[in-house]
Amino acid sequence: MSGHSNDRSSSHAVTLEWPDGRTRTISAREDETVLEAADRADIALPHGCLTGACGTCTGRLLGNDGPSQAAGDKDPDATVEDIFAYQRRPRALKDRHRTEGYVLLCVASPRADCRIAVGSSVQSELVENPWK
Amino acid sequence: MSDASTNSDAEPDHDHEQHHQGPGYATPQAAIEEGEREKLAYVMSLYVGTDVDAPDFVAVVDLDPDSDTYCEIVDRIELPNRGDELHHFGWNACSSSCHVEELERRHLIVPGQRSSRIHVIDAKDRRNPELETVIEPEEVFEYDLSAPHTVHCIPDGEILISMLGDADGELPGGFLELNEDFEIEGRWEPPGEIEMNYDYWYQPRQNVMVSSEWAAPKTYYPGFDLDDVEAGKYGQKLHFWDWEDGTVEQTIDLGEEGLIPLEVRFLHTPESTHGFVGAALSSNIFHFWRDDAGEYHAEKAIDFESREHPDWEMPVPGLTTDILISMDDRYLFGSNWLHGEVWMYDISDPANPRRADSLSVGGTFGDVQEVQDRELNAGPQMIQLSLDGERLYWTTSLFSSWDEQFYPEEGEQGSVMLKADVDSRNGTLELDEDFLVDWGECPEGPARAHEIRWPDGDCTSDVWQ
Repeated sequence: MSGHSNDRSSSHAVTLEWPDGRTRTISAREDETVLEAADRADIALPHGCLTGACGTCTGRLLGNDGPSQAAGDKDPDATVEDIFAYQRRPRALKDRHRTEGYVLLCVASPRADCRIAVGSSVQSELVENPWK
Repeated sequence: MSDASTNSDAEPDHDHEQHHQGPGYATPQAAIEEGEREKLAYVMSLYVGTDVDAPDFVAVVDLDPDSDTYCEIVDRIELPNRGDELHHFGWNACSSSCHVEELERRHLIVPGQRSSRIHVIDAKDRRNPELETVIEPEEVFEYDLSAPHTVHCIPDGEILISMLGDADGELPGGFLELNEDFEIEGRWEPPGEIEMNYDYWYQPRQNVMVSSEWAAPKTYYPGFDLDDVEAGKYGQKLHFWDWEDGTVEQTIDLGEEGLIPLEVRFLHTPESTHGFVGAALSSNIFHFWRDDAGEYHAEKAIDFESREHPDWEMPVPGLTTDILISMDDRYLFGSNWLHGEVWMYDISDPANPRRADSLSVGGTFGDVQEVQDRELNAGPQMIQLSLDGERLYWTTSLFSSWDEQFYPEEGEQGSVMLKADVDSRNGTLELDEDFLVDWGECPEGPARAHEIRWPDGDCTSDVWQ
């Protein structure tokens, strides 16, 4: 396991990557959401309902190759289901979104180190202009 | 259609004007005569869904042409949390309580559409309102409701909010009632009366309320997906309620031509049982009315044709996202957000609206794409009309995630508020190019702007009993 134990819960290194190239790595516990962990680190990520219904907080899984991940644990085919446990159903995401790696950070808690694309532009990838 | 639906049992109260001590105006005509020119506007302003690290805010806009700060945001009431998506809002009291001496139009009820948080703002000082109370989302979820939308006061001081989903953002929605101390009183209606919800309007003298349908929050929140329309996840019905009992008496399915019926308005005169609803996706206006037997009917009255665009694969619908009725009930105004158009129709014969004028501004096809060298980046959306019907204002943001889909530049550049002068005698609109309020200049970063209200009542807030 990549995570290390503490009194309350295991935690994982989650690297947040913005479209402008900026990155931040935070420690996220298994009993908190990525959004809560980012908030603890004073990182403001977009969010809305906080119940998994609206998709404002959507991130996209880039890989499970976080900085502290042991080389042998890296799995290029890791899915959202492998990396995160949802505290509530991610209702804002359709099946196609989940298979494409989209994850609702307001209800997702990490189970492994990972890298996630974040920022408001990720949410806008969920739907296209249907007439254009 | 039926006649103009004057109810012979209803007696106008001729003493009312002299004796009313409560909020608002005795009649719609009194609002036109006694209401002063709007010198301030309150506008829902939002950062939700952007990377700006700031909460949404209520903008106070200076509309007084004689002021040094005309067309500027002169105050911002910042809310305590990020992520609300301020959208629609309303007053604690309007003209429907004009007989209630102890009430005053003083508090703005400002819900967060995404957060389900409800803010109460004290606007006693009209230019510098202050946040007074916050009802947190957890309190709202206890009633298995979420996604607050339309706010109207109930005559006598209570407040009714249409709620579009359950606590999980699924269906059914319902209505939440607040008491005059801004505490949750409970659900207004017995659960299960409706599935989808959106806007509503009531006509108390006729004991009727009408509500419209968007979709489940989990469906519309992330953005517009045509697959959801095909799967029947978007609304197409109107519900007519017994206002006293809070129960649905009649539901009308508008069919494919009535997809996504959003803003719904009765005429202002309390005698009338006529009204209009804008079916946003179908881009049609339906007229509804009650017949002599007490049955409601709805018929398509205006049809905005989709337009071909060389760069778009499919014909572009107008997307008729807002409508309002002038205080004198003579004109229906509306916006076609995707085309880039505001329009006015003569509704003196409500079953046969007659196009009076329109402006082609902003949006996909607008003739005017810049005002004062400012790129408009989106079409006209939420509209508001002066009480005297002479000035039409609008903002350009629909909903953060839908804006991103259709007008992605709006999030980067912010919204604008524009104005047209209305000649209600001749039925014409003229864009006032001297008027521009720019949310791109906000100190925290460019913001979106949505619903507009005047401090002392407007064409979409006031109802008469």
